[in-house]
Amino acid sequence: MNEPAKTWSVPDSLIGKRIPKMDAPDKASGRTRYIQDLEIPGALHGKILRSTRVHARILSIDTSAAKALAGVHAVITAADVPWQRPIGVGRDHLPLKADRVLSLRDEIAAVAADSEAIAEAALKLIRVVYEPLPVLATTIAASAPGAPRLHPDRPDNVAMTFDYAQGDLAQGEAESDVVVEDVFRLHYVTHCCMGVSGVIAEFDPSGNLLLYSNTQVPFLHKREFAELLGIDPGRIRIIQPPIGGGFGSKLDIYPFEPIAIFLAGITKRPVKLVFTREEEFIASPTRQPVLLKLRSGCRKDGTLTFRDVETVHDNGAYTSWGATTPFVMMQTISSLYRVPHCKYRTVAVYTNNPYAGSFRGYGNLQATFAVEAHMDKLAEAVGMDGLAFRLKNAQHPGEVTPQGMHFKSCGLKECLTTAAQRSDFLRKQAENRSRWNDPDPVKRGIGMASMLHVGGGAKIYPSDGCGTILKIDDFAHVTLITGASEIGQGSETVLAQLVCEELGLPMTAVTVVNNDTDITPWDVGVHASRTTFIAGNSAIGAARKAKRKILEAAAAKTGNRIDELGLAGGFITASSGEKLFELAKFLRSLHFSDKADLVMTSFYYEPPSRHQDKQFKGDVSAAYAWATQVCEIELDTETGIVRLLKVTGAHDVGRVLNRLGIEGQIEGGIVMGQGYALTEDLRVEAGVIRNPNFRDYKLVTAPEIPEMDISFIETMDGEGPQGAKGVGEAPAICIAAAVANAIHNATGTRITALPFAPENVYRALHGASEPPVWNAA
Amino acid sequence: MSANCDIAFTLNGVKRELSVPAGMSALAMLRERLGLTGTKYGCGEGECGACTILVDGMSVNSCLLFAADCDGRDVVTIEGVVQSEAGERLRSAFVASGAVQCGFCTPGLMVQASHLIEQHPGADEAAIRRGIEGNLCRCTGYRKIVDAIASAAKPDPGQTPFSEGQP
Amino acid sequence: MLRAGDVTVLAGGTDLMPQTQAGRLRFRPVLMNVRRVPELKGIAEDNGVVRIGALVTITELLDSALVRERLNLLWQACDHFASDQIRNAATIGGNLCNASPAGDTLVPLLALEARVVLAAKPNGTLQIRRVPLAQFLLGPGRSCRGLTELLAAVEVPLPGAGFVGEFYKHGTRPGLDISTISIAAGARRDGAVLRDVRIAFGAVAPTVIRAPRAEAALEGHRADAATLEAAVQAALAEIHPISDVRASDWYRRELIHNMLKRVLTHVCKL
Ligand SMILES: Cc1cc2nc3c(=O)[nH]c(=O)nc-3n(C[C@H](O)[C@H](O)[C@H](O)COP(=O)(O)OP(=O)(O)OC[C@H]3O[C@@H](n4cnc5c(N)ncnc54)[C@H](O)[C@@H]3O)c2cc1C
Ligand code: FES
Ligand code: FES
Repeated sequence: MNEPAKTWSVPDSLIGKRIPKMDAPDKASGRTRYIQDLEIPGALHGKILRSTRVHARILSIDTSAAKALAGVHAVITAADVPWQRPIGVGRDHLPLKADRVLSLRDEIAAVAADSEAIAEAALKLIRVVYEPLPVLATTIAASAPGAPRLHPDRPDNVAMTFDYAQGDLAQGEAESDVVVEDVFRLHYVTHCCMGVSGVIAEFDPSGNLLLYSNTQVPFLHKREFAELLGIDPGRIRIIQPPIGGGFGSKLDIYPFEPIAIFLAGITKRPVKLVFTREEEFIASPTRQPVLLKLRSGCRKDGTLTFRDVETVHDNGAYTSWGATTPFVMMQTISSLYRVPHCKYRTVAVYTNNPYAGSFRGYGNLQATFAVEAHMDKLAEAVGMDGLAFRLKNAQHPGEVTPQGMHFKSCGLKECLTTAAQRSDFLRKQAENRSRWNDPDPVKRGIGMASMLHVGGGAKIYPSDGCGTILKIDDFAHVTLITGASEIGQGSETVLAQLVCEELGLPMTAVTVVNNDTDITPWDVGVHASRTTFIAGNSAIGAARKAKRKILEAAAAKTGNRIDELGLAGGFITASSGEKLFELAKFLRSLHFSDKADLVMTSFYYEPPSRHQDKQFKGDVSAAYAWATQVCEIELDTETGIVRLLKVTGAHDVGRVLNRLGIEGQIEGGIVMGQGYALTEDLRVEAGVIRNPNFRDYKLVTAPEIPEMDISFIETMDGEGPQGAKGVGEAPAICIAAAVANAIHNATGTRITALPFAPENVYRALHGASEPPVWNAA
Repeated sequence: MSANCDIAFTLNGVKRELSVPAGMSALAMLRERLGLTGTKYGCGEGECGACTILVDGMSVNSCLLFAADCDGRDVVTIEGVVQSEAGERLRSAFVASGAVQCGFCTPGLMVQASHLIEQHPGADEAAIRRGIEGNLCRCTGYRKIVDAIASAAKPDPGQTPFSEGQP
Repeated sequence: MLRAGDVTVLAGGTDLMPQTQAGRLRFRPVLMNVRRVPELKGIAEDNGVVRIGALVTITELLDSALVRERLNLLWQACDHFASDQIRNAATIGGNLCNASPAGDTLVPLLALEARVVLAAKPNGTLQIRRVPLAQFLLGPGRSCRGLTELLAAVEVPLPGAGFVGEFYKHGTRPGLDISTISIAAGARRDGAVLRDVRIAFGAVAPTVIRAPRAEAALEGHRADAATLEAAVQAALAEIHPISDVRASDWYRRELIHNMLKRVLTHVCKL
């Protein structure tokens, strides 16, 4: 903490207040134009023909009838874009598949037509002849000797492997008094952004590309699209219209975007391509499904000794971000609690299933589910209560873990005790247990889980920075131009708030510009709960420069030292609080003076985090966020229905900046975690999604939400903007783990497979389910 | 099925006449023919409520309503709802309560909430939650939406009746 | 208007629209909007029979004091029906004509021994026939309604005084959910003995079904645990659930077993 200049409490501070989102009035009036709402004059409508086979060779594609349909401007297949290049994190698939399809979503052809209806009619006229190939529906099938290769350069269908170790596992085992082992199975879920995916692509006569896109990483995508098209990235402009939800789904390039670009290039017309909801279910990424074997041990006194983890990830047909979730999973395994000896291995295996992308929490829901089940199990084995056991092994501030993470601030212990106290955890836990043999079929349960997640960015790329440009006009109105995208989470409001805080201005004095790569400075993108932290620090940096510039000019006029001057309430003030100049007037006088100058500054913030080394060690984030959540449930043993009654959460958020915004993030995250735990289940059978609709893929609805009691633990992180850390992902992470522990508390049964949908729970309680088994090849 | 139907109806208080294909949904008509994009497509199957509109004072999913079936009826969309005083109040409540994040579900929820408040002025927490069970929101966890509706449903304490003697 | 043969009747459209959009259904040449036919509206009691017009919406049923007080079993099913928006549009006639084995109003209507009123006007004269619901429903999506017939109303005889009914729909949500299984059961206590026992199920057979053997196991018997168990066992022999994306046949049987028992326990006030 070597930045003493930070003032934590200014009298009329905006920090910690309930500040409404700046874009809310428009959104609540139906005035906001999302990508689906944009009408570009002369635009054609694009539609994609997807495979009807899970794994097959394409023998022929006949597009002649489709091309002949009135109103059709182009029908394209891989043959029309021989120069297309592989896309995605793994660079392992072409936007338009050429000779083989590896999953049901695979893009085979695309149409641009005068209307969506015509484009759809044209798709029906395309004739594809397939030769079926054996379907690799499971990682076991894909790993079997002699299994067909899905990608020619991967003889064993292995997409990725991860290997991490710390300490000496054998020593850890030898020191253990108790060792437990379980296999956990985490299912498929998907983002279900309420706004379906869409893109509009348009070339100008000079060949410059304008893309309206909902990407969360515009600057990275510029480069990728440039590579794909073989043009200079400078000729690509990405505009991000308001987005109907992100949650990580828009971090990779998916084929529909290049396809829209191809169609626009070929037709020389703007092309708008928007999914249907069914398409959204079928052709969007999922959360990474995981089979995980965990062995853990501890001493009699409750000290953790070791953890040994193996996981198999069904990689699906192609490699997107889901495959890389081990980066986060291993952090939880190694560093959520203090464990001296750890081993972690993942094999991601190609199959013919849907593929996983990044999804709020990024592997952490999966890892926490396993780790927190074992925290309860070990505690029970050594006769400790779950709270005392966790406290004994909890991280302290200042700790550097064997994986290299440095917890400069850490409120885990406060989170644990606060959540336990507020929920009356120990008393209720004992009471529920004593009712196991009551005749009442409806049981109650309470369960606890904690989490660790990056809260100060994540150095996944060589840089994790963000730029800001700030200008103040002659009416003291600020335009904040930031690289950070707004995806509904409220970042634009927080950034404006941080700037106002520095400049002593009301929220109405700021306009945020954040959606056009031709205007905004560079940023890595919205992910890893990084925006408030990174873009916040960047905005503060630019605001402080502006402030300095203004005060220097004022000091020159008044003869004061600049540290005797301040900005408050739209005035330049003396240390006495006396108003010296009205800011707007002063700025105008600057413009019109003989040394005329504009107040315009820029700042680039790069956090002091480090890229992981080859052994996956390193301090990847500038700060880490912590939380404990306690879930209370009611379980009907005669139906298997589990109701989430109450969630008591305690979150180390560094500092609360916008109370309204942070509550919204946490409440939304809890309910998303509830869906993961209880209701959502993307049913993939032999590569086919059985429930691509909201009727059978069940999001949580309003009557089902739990009571939520949320406490904020303010650890005032020294690196954070005004002390804050990132929270975007944290609230979703613990729920499934805590519910699993609550089910055990209610019934004595430990279920290690998600989701806890009624039939699954009922089967588990009645011994009619198949618990997950370890079957890695 | 490609036959067109001539229809006449009231849309947000204004008389409209147009000709629509027999199979067209009211949602498509509003968005594509009339440029009223406040009504959203979220599923097209009656499951998400993003397309909620009022027809003859009742809230319905416009994706399930045939455009032709609007003939002779009174249709109000989000654009109309926010023109009313009650709609204005609801909007302020949504904004102040933090009920809006990505905002994609918001217009549908605003329309449904306005209907709910009109039909059940004294709706309690449970009734409000059930009243919006047909509206999916992926961002907020509904808590602040329910709070917003509850606060808009309460009689406004700031609006004291005009009493004699005041200027 | 009933003369035209080749018509598709449109009521609330909540089934028709998804079916049309999915291409499962082609419109017949004429789409007949029956919304303005006054004869198809209204709920009224006459001589111990409640007549519910085909166009009555689920919301109107919920708002009706008559339904709430005298046909409470039906009212409960309406309370578990979809969402407010759907309830405002969906009609009871559409629910009946859609003939889904999971149709929520069908289960209590079957238990209450309702009959449907079918109307046709083949050569200018109105022809009306009344068909018991059990005979009206033929299979998933199939009824005995003729191509030119309109469902005008459903008639429900009022259950006797003291009749208590309970509707159960399985799911994690209160409403918006397609029934995994549903149960409508009711009876009247005559001292310690049960009378007028009615049991119907949804989503466990190709149509909603009555459970006559389960009813017989209770009718005229004393309401005790052993009788209930016998009725539940009888019911299990009467259902033919399938496995689908929502549930397995095994689980559906378990639910019928456990929840029928629970519902009967409530109904019999054990
Ligand atoms: C999201 C969603 C949720 C749903 N949830 C439920 C639920 O919880 N429970 C449930 O039971 N159902 C549910 N349904 C199904 C549907 O809403 C009901 O079946 C509804 O009652 C249908 O009524 P309607 O007026 O909309 O019928 P329509 O769609 O207008 O018509 C349905 C069918 O009946 C025919 N028809 C309608 N009226 C007549 C008539 N008077 N004479 C002759 N033929 C006629 C039509 O031609 C058509 O074939 C749901 C549907 C959706 C989209
Ligand atoms: S779009 Fe109509 S309910 Fe989803
Ligand atoms: S605010 Fe995003 S879906 Fe509701």
